[in-house]
Amino acid sequence: MSNPLKDYRTTCLLLATLAMAVLFIHPGRQQKTPTYNYTFIIDITRSMNVSDYRQDNQAVSRLEFVKHSLRELLRQLPCQSRVGLGLFTERRSTLLFEPLEVCSAYTEIDTAISKIDWRMAWAADSHIAKGLLSTLEMLQKSDSSVVFMTDGQEAPPLNPNYRTDFSTVKGHAKGIIIGVGGLQAVPIPKFDSQGKQTGFYAHDDVPHRSSFGQSNLDPSQIKGYNARNAPFGSEAAIGNEHLSALQETYLENLGTESGLDYTRLTDFKNLGKALRNPKLATEKMLLTDNRWQPALSALLLLSLVYMPKLYPYRRVIRH
Amino acid sequence: MNLAVNSPWVLSGLLLALLPLFNNGMRPSPAPWLALIPDDALSVFIACGLRLCAMAVIAGLVLGMAGLHRTEQSRERIGHGAHIVLLLDRSSSMDNSFAGSAPNGADESKATAARRLLTDFVKQRQSDLIGVAEYSTAPLFVMPLTENKAAVQAAIAATATPALGFTHVGKGLGMALSLFEQPSVTGSRIVVLVSDGAAAIDHDSEQKLRLWFKQQQVRLYWIFLRTAGSPGIFDQPEDSRDDNAGAMPERYLHKFFLGLGSSYQAYEAESPDALKRAIADINQLENLPMHYVERIPKQDLSTLCYSVATLLLLILLGAKFCEIRR
Repeated sequence: MSNPLKDYRTTCLLLATLAMAVLFIHPGRQQKTPTYNYTFIIDITRSMNVSDYRQDNQAVSRLEFVKHSLRELLRQLPCQSRVGLGLFTERRSTLLFEPLEVCSAYTEIDTAISKIDWRMAWAADSHIAKGLLSTLEMLQKSDSSVVFMTDGQEAPPLNPNYRTDFSTVKGHAKGIIIGVGGLQAVPIPKFDSQGKQTGFYAHDDVPHRSSFGQSNLDPSQIKGYNARNAPFGSEAAIGNEHLSALQETYLENLGTESGLDYTRLTDFKNLGKALRNPKLATEKMLLTDNRWQPALSALLLLSLVYMPKLYPYRRVIRH
Repeated sequence: MNLAVNSPWVLSGLLLALLPLFNNGMRPSPAPWLALIPDDALSVFIACGLRLCAMAVIAGLVLGMAGLHRTEQSRERIGHGAHIVLLLDRSSSMDNSFAGSAPNGADESKATAARRLLTDFVKQRQSDLIGVAEYSTAPLFVMPLTENKAAVQAAIAATATPALGFTHVGKGLGMALSLFEQPSVTGSRIVVLVSDGAAAIDHDSEQKLRLWFKQQQVRLYWIFLRTAGSPGIFDQPEDSRDDNAGAMPERYLHKFFLGLGSSYQAYEAESPDALKRAIADINQLENLPMHYVERIPKQDLSTLCYSVATLLLLILLGAKFCEIRR
């Protein structure tokens, strides 16, 4: 009889068992992993129908491109991240659903994004600053970051005398403004009640200046000024409001005033990069699976036990 | 079974499971002549068993490391339930109380009452597919028909945000019916319309809605949240001159629904309690048998692999201590 412990195989098996014990006692480590909680607010005003993005060599509208990018992004968000969805038009936004966990509700979120349509707009104006303020106020209590996707075209144009005051939300809001659209001004498509395109908005179709309140100009400079009947003068307004381009400087200013970041949506990759901003992430303690480490050592130890001999058992020949 | 692994390349490690075929893992003990040792069935059995054990341990470890799991599966089942689309009115008046004033501490707004009771309703309907659509001036697609109750709850909770615009019920109904677009399935199809007002539907839309309701065999429940003092569904006009869709849209919408040819039930709720009763009623009525697909989530099998491997490893270790060297 000899001690089985003297055999290297026994030692290996013992160590392997020990490794498996470690595997079951310490299956993983709590590790900080970034997860995200976004509420996407998508501008569905008419100017978002402008087709100035290209995708697969085809012109697509701003709204289509936003939807496509969001669906791509959804696929890449880590589990435990949450996504909510809302729409903006007129002067405020509405929430379709509160943030949902992306892995368990992927199909639902994806379908809801794909169904967004400019015809869901309940009113036609596009007061972006007011909309942004109402969105930030609405979501102030939620811990979700606002991702406001718009082209920045105010319609009708703003009167600079009446600026939206963001002081109530500045500093509380977390989020980012994503500028959508090209920098070149292009005409806005016009649709009939059946959803068919019937041309583009012409110069005479849209107001080119604000006619609300008092003019910001010195009355003596305004031709045909009348304090009661013509506070903006008698001359026809000229402007390019029937064309639409991404108003980057305006959106950047809104960002500074409200304490949000600003990025332009050029392709899907830069959107992903902007949204992975650590400022928008929350670190969650997630259990990472480290069981492969002890399992691998057990496997190697076992292979050592059963490693075929390189030379056959030598017979000891005695003469 | 639908097994799958997270990292397929790890499976190449399965080749290691062949090792015990070439080496029995025993300490060799010298014998003068192997032919002298008599054949023994039990010994052969044990030797083979130990080799198989070793192979299984290695295979188990490799499969565990590769992350073996059973993929998400769906199982067709027969239960009681329905395909329900909740069509919610988001017009501004929903933010008022049943008394028609802005809600104060004592009474809740119509939207809050509806939200609270619908949340309970969804909780009770475990085997249903539920979708959500909303409407004000324009219809909003919110949530496709889904068995994910958390998603439906999130959509209902989102109606806490301020309401919008006016009431355009025709478009809303069109949107609600479009949610049923998937091929016909068993079980009843229901639209639950929760609104506090009505509007005249134009002739074209009426025609289309009639057709769609018939084609899709949809049953309609209208829960009318009546504000005190406002005209109700069942009111008769006092003056025959008021008997038109413009003056009494509720009555005419009700008439239109009655003429749809599909099953229709109206509830007039004048308080949160009446709303609760209406919802309980629907809950009871809509329990027809239906086929539904139950989703069985992905099941991780790596823990099982590791456990089996550990168990067999202990057997091998035990056998090691039984070895005798003379």
